[in-house]
Amino acid sequence: MSAPVPEIPLDLRAEVRRAVASLDHESRDSGSMTSDLSIDEELNLHSIGWEPVALVSGVSVFSVPVGCWNWGQGEIAVASAAQAHAFHHAITRIHTEAANVGGHGVVGVHIERLVYSTHIEVSLVGTAVRPVGAGAINGSGIFVSDLSARDFTLLMIAGWEPLGLATGASFVFAPRRSVATVLQQQSQNVELTNFTEAMYSARESAMERMQQSALAMHGTGVVEVKVVEGPMRFAGHAVGFVAVGTVVRLAKTTHQLIHPTMVVSLNDQNVAFDAQTLA
Amino acid sequence: MSNPTNDLPQATEHRLEELEKGLFTSDLSVNEFLLIKEVGFHPVGFVMGSSIYHTGIQTRKWSQSQELTKLTEAMYNARELAMNRMEEEAAELGADGVVGVRLDVNYYEWGKDAAEFIAVGTAVKAEDGVSRLNQLGKPFTSDLSGQDFWTLRQTGYMPQGLVMGTCVYHIAHRGIGQTLGTTGQNVELPNFTQALYEARELAMTRMQDEAARLGASGIVGVRLEEKSHQWGSHTIEFLALGTAVTKTSEEMTLAKPTTIISLDN
Repeated sequence: MSAPVPEIPLDLRAEVRRAVASLDHESRDSGSMTSDLSIDEELNLHSIGWEPVALVSGVSVFSVPVGCWNWGQGEIAVASAAQAHAFHHAITRIHTEAANVGGHGVVGVHIERLVYSTHIEVSLVGTAVRPVGAGAINGSGIFVSDLSARDFTLLMIAGWEPLGLATGASFVFAPRRSVATVLQQQSQNVELTNFTEAMYSARESAMERMQQSALAMHGTGVVEVKVVEGPMRFAGHAVGFVAVGTVVRLAKTTHQLIHPTMVVSLNDQNVAFDAQTLA
Repeated sequence: MSNPTNDLPQATEHRLEELEKGLFTSDLSVNEFLLIKEVGFHPVGFVMGSSIYHTGIQTRKWSQSQELTKLTEAMYNARELAMNRMEEEAAELGADGVVGVRLDVNYYEWGKDAAEFIAVGTAVKAEDGVSRLNQLGKPFTSDLSGQDFWTLRQTGYMPQGLVMGTCVYHIAHRGIGQTLGTTGQNVELPNFTQALYEARELAMTRMQDEAARLGASGIVGVRLEEKSHQWGSHTIEFLALGTAVTKTSEEMTLAKPTTIISLDN
């Protein structure tokens, strides 16, 4: 018994055009809704008067010049710029999609970021949300966040609002050591200061760029900052640092305390302490 | 990195200056962020320190259990360098302490003989303006999560510093005679037992000494890690890590926990 073969559209180009065109016209009927939220997350959203609208995405692939990974010195500025552009375009596209379905924000954004020797790819997928029954707002007011719907709810209860994703990237070449230096240091305990400084500075630059984008959004904080770092698969001497976080701002006049209750779960597998709120 | 009093790279200065404009960054989760706010602290910035360190060579005797002091020293030095830089960043931000500190070791393809030691955490500052610096006048450090920090504060304790002790130990191989002699028997291998025991004790003692220097009354959340890094199976680093705490107030605000039975799964 073979599985039924899915029908393949005859004209793939026409099919893609149709899909792209459908992004442009606005559909605000609340009849159907798609989202990758769990039932719990949806209930959480409803508890503060928000609802999911649709699953939205934004993708951008940005090319990097041939040979930019060949061993050089200092920062690989073209790669850092390409990463920044790819993020920017992907975010703009997810804004557009969210605006078209009438969302006021996108939560639970899953960020996929891939670096190849020829291009850098960023794809974002998340669920557009809005206050129940609210009308569409324009694209610039829409926030995009990688916080889960649950975290979003918690932030809103505490009087904070997300403003968007702040990102910063920095790609650098590892400094080289001469053979003489390597031999000389062979048997010693010694800090390799030029290496330390190169990696340290690159990490700081990525963070600093992330801060710049947060300041541009008039945020007062960035939460859940993640710094992803490591050498490129195709070029071990090139090291990338990418910082991503959600920009937040106090929406109410003061921070609202959440007064957590201490609970001890009597379930066997789950004895870990868990500070819960959401009254 | 020429200036000995402040050896942070320039990029750091720039980033920290920006943070003083009223933006905070933090790797805390939303849960942790809210719990830190709950006990009257505000995050001021994501801080880090790093050191790429080349570990020297020390000869080991095949059949002798011994501490490899040179390697121990290297592991200590490198971590201290990273931690100190993180503390410097926190001090620069005027923070009272650093929570959620994580210590990591990275190896790069281009530097097999070297490792990067990293310390990262979120610098926090008390909202009431009262200084919470530790006894040495430096920001406190702690590897406690936001949840643990909240709970600790409810009991009137205050973290003083992240304390650690390390010991790199070479465990002797057994001779063929010994191996043959014990084949087929139930028997304790005293040389292995003793070596592992001693290495662990050394690491723990060093950690306790650090806590004593901070005038701490206890160490919570102690973890004992054993890693061979890249030295082969008979050379092991024993690392003891924990947060030294002191009691700063007699007030116990921790409510009696409610017991629940979750119906999930």
